[in-house]
Amino acid sequence: MDVEHVRYALEELRFLAEVPSEVIARLADAASLQRAASGSVIFREGTRNANLYLLRKGKVALDMKVPGRGSVRILTLGPGEMIGWSALLGEGKMTAGAVALDDSELVVIDSHGLLRLCESDHHFGFQIMRRMAAALAQRLVATRLQLLDLFADLPAGAAAPVRLEPGDGP
Amino acid sequence: MRDASRSAAAAGLRPWRTHTVRVREILAEVEGVATYDLAFRDESAGAAYRFAPGQFNMLYLPGAGECAISISEDRATSAGYRHTVRVAGNVTKTLTGLRPGDTLGLRGPFGTSWPITDCIGRDVVLVAGGIGLAPLRPAIGSLMRNARQFGRRHLLYGARSPESLLYWRQYEEWSQAGIRVHTTVDRADSRWTGHVGVATLLLERLDAIDARNAVLMCCGPEVMMRFTIAAALNRGFAPDRIWVSLERNMQCGVGLCGHCQMGGEFVCRDGPVFRYDRVAPFLDVEAF
Amino acid sequence: MNGHSGADAGQRFLHKDRFPCLLEQLEAMGYSVIGPTLDQHAIVYDRIRSVDDLPRGWTDEQQPGSYRVRRRTDDAWFGYVVGPHSWKGYLFPTPVVIARAAREGGDWEFKEADDAPPKFAFLGVRACEIAAIRVQDRVFLAESYVDPIYEGRRTRALIVAVNCEQAASTCFCPSMGTGPRCTSGFDLALTELSDGFVVEVGTAEGAALLATLDSSEASISQLRAAQAARRSASEQIERSLDTRGLRDLLMDNLEHPRWDETASRCLSCANCTMVCPTCFCGSVEEVSDLAGGRVERRRRWDSCFNIDFSYMNGGHVRDSIRSRYRQWLTHKLASWNDQFGTSGCVGCGRCITWCPSGIDLTEEVLAIRGDAPVSEGSS
Repeated sequence: MDVEHVRYALEELRFLAEVPSEVIARLADAASLQRAASGSVIFREGTRNANLYLLRKGKVALDMKVPGRGSVRILTLGPGEMIGWSALLGEGKMTAGAVALDDSELVVIDSHGLLRLCESDHHFGFQIMRRMAAALAQRLVATRLQLLDLFADLPAGAAAPVRLEPGDGP
Repeated sequence: MRDASRSAAAAGLRPWRTHTVRVREILAEVEGVATYDLAFRDESAGAAYRFAPGQFNMLYLPGAGECAISISEDRATSAGYRHTVRVAGNVTKTLTGLRPGDTLGLRGPFGTSWPITDCIGRDVVLVAGGIGLAPLRPAIGSLMRNARQFGRRHLLYGARSPESLLYWRQYEEWSQAGIRVHTTVDRADSRWTGHVGVATLLLERLDAIDARNAVLMCCGPEVMMRFTIAAALNRGFAPDRIWVSLERNMQCGVGLCGHCQMGGEFVCRDGPVFRYDRVAPFLDVEAF
Repeated sequence: MNGHSGADAGQRFLHKDRFPCLLEQLEAMGYSVIGPTLDQHAIVYDRIRSVDDLPRGWTDEQQPGSYRVRRRTDDAWFGYVVGPHSWKGYLFPTPVVIARAAREGGDWEFKEADDAPPKFAFLGVRACEIAAIRVQDRVFLAESYVDPIYEGRRTRALIVAVNCEQAASTCFCPSMGTGPRCTSGFDLALTELSDGFVVEVGTAEGAALLATLDSSEASISQLRAAQAARRSASEQIERSLDTRGLRDLLMDNLEHPRWDETASRCLSCANCTMVCPTCFCGSVEEVSDLAGGRVERRRRWDSCFNIDFSYMNGGHVRDSIRSRYRQWLTHKLASWNDQFGTSGCVGCGRCITWCPSGIDLTEEVLAIRGDAPVSEGSS
């Protein structure tokens, strides 16, 4: 695949906005493009996956399986967003499953190659990790808002329901 | 001194003047939410009644009390006025006992309105959460009419679940009128192919927008609005083109009873629709 | 307006023997005279039918958290400062019916209160209280919506002010620019001497009233005695509140640690708001007959110290004493200016006297000023 093509795709991504072009050029060396048809699985929850994905086009859902409740949709991601952080920051075991909801295009980055680049060039590493941290911080805030369940119907006068089950302690 | 107060009073509007209105129709919306279409019994009062998008009425159920309900009417002309109400307290619960033909009291309209004329020639983003779509519906109506006056128009709407998306029957009509409707929910199973996650994520993703010149109007739970504002500022929206509709305990509706005071503002009179930079100092102060 | 321009020109002297004629004349003009009277060990405002109802020979002693009436060594009629009542009890009464609903033939009919406003003559209004009435005029009468109950009473009321001749330890009216001398906003203003009153005229109504009484031109010695009596009030005032930059000082210090400290002493009892002559918050309650077909809407005074005051679906906005005390003080001394172009405080000191914990707002401001960064050039 044409490296220039990959590089162009990376430059367009909001995830990498304001990242210096030499950083993008090095990232492009470790990246490739992939299409995912609507309904196709990008990775499954609990499996090992060495790739970090940046969504170019389309929509991807993150699902988690809960015994007795089936597959719960945690979050959907749109163009410019990052998927599969556990490949870079975790042990490569996926914490959620990812499925394309529309015909999607992704930039796929080999996380081992990326980590090696980060370690060998800390300036580069800082740029990458800063983007990762910002994206995760945004996702954390969004998750907290979801957790607050702001639109829940509370009985008049009731505080937000907080329930501790036995054994919930530290 | 006494003469001065007399002349002020002569020009004064009467806060407690209450109209008899009749329930024309009750539309079940989503769980716990219904829309009441109310018509003035006195035709001359009805003919004289004018409201602007974002304003509210005090609905009065004798014996139970009053509650502030924003006008969710979206039609240019109407025999009645729609009020979308979520059951939340004593008064709204009593309201659910009414049937078409029953009467109740109405005072209003009160408060400030959405800045529709400021939107001319600009992109517009409406961000709504839950029942917060109701006060924005009249603004959607205004943005649908004279559509060519406005730039790109987006509605970002977050609700708890796919089943609790308010006014879902109208999204198609809004889309056809050129308003891009983006919905997202907090909770869904994997059969739902729409967005999952909070509305602030939709705002962060929104590409087709000239943020620096766009107008943003937001209504939803205060926590959600705070984060929406943060996301909007981050996207480059100007603080004086971000508008929020706030909620407080409102009793008189006209700035005389003190309940809804927030800093130098009475939310009922100086709001509920505020330009963000006017209330920014207070929004982040806990319990102010 | 005339009477207090120049060197007290045109002032009259009304002998105490002639004072009953003032009360009779007011009654004849259809006024209910409301003035100071001794009740349950306090000087309160109530119906005055004769000079015997006045607190003759009584005074009050006030400290933070303390109020006592005491015998005076003389027979002064108005020889006290201010008590727990203020005139808002009459202009902004509680409870009061503001509207009614009735079911007629199946439909609800609504009426505003068919209020026949009483005509009050207020006797013994202090300078700080005139200022307080002016503040409430601004709240209730000056915006597009006016309060009909207040308006009906206020426009009919006659004010006979009486200048303070002594001050309580809690007084700080000079800091707020409201006293102790009555300078405007009255129909008549009196200064009490041992045998009578030096009378100033504030309005045409006041002049017409005075003309019906058997008064004489005030002599130079009477004018001098009145001046000395008023001066003694000024000289006794010890407390002060530095209002320079006060609005910004408070609004810039909403997270000051002092709020926590004050909250540990504040009982959130709402006394300060009840005795404050400018606090105007109210709540409406529904009172229906047994069949539910007739409903009165009754307004009562409410207070930002009551937890339910800020209740909304799902919770209270101000759920801590810290947030409620901060709300009260910042409204009174800061955001009131934003809303009404005037401070909400007139320096009467009632909130200090009637606070069971003796919380003193002048000390609170001093504490916040003490270690807050001083903002330059603010007003």
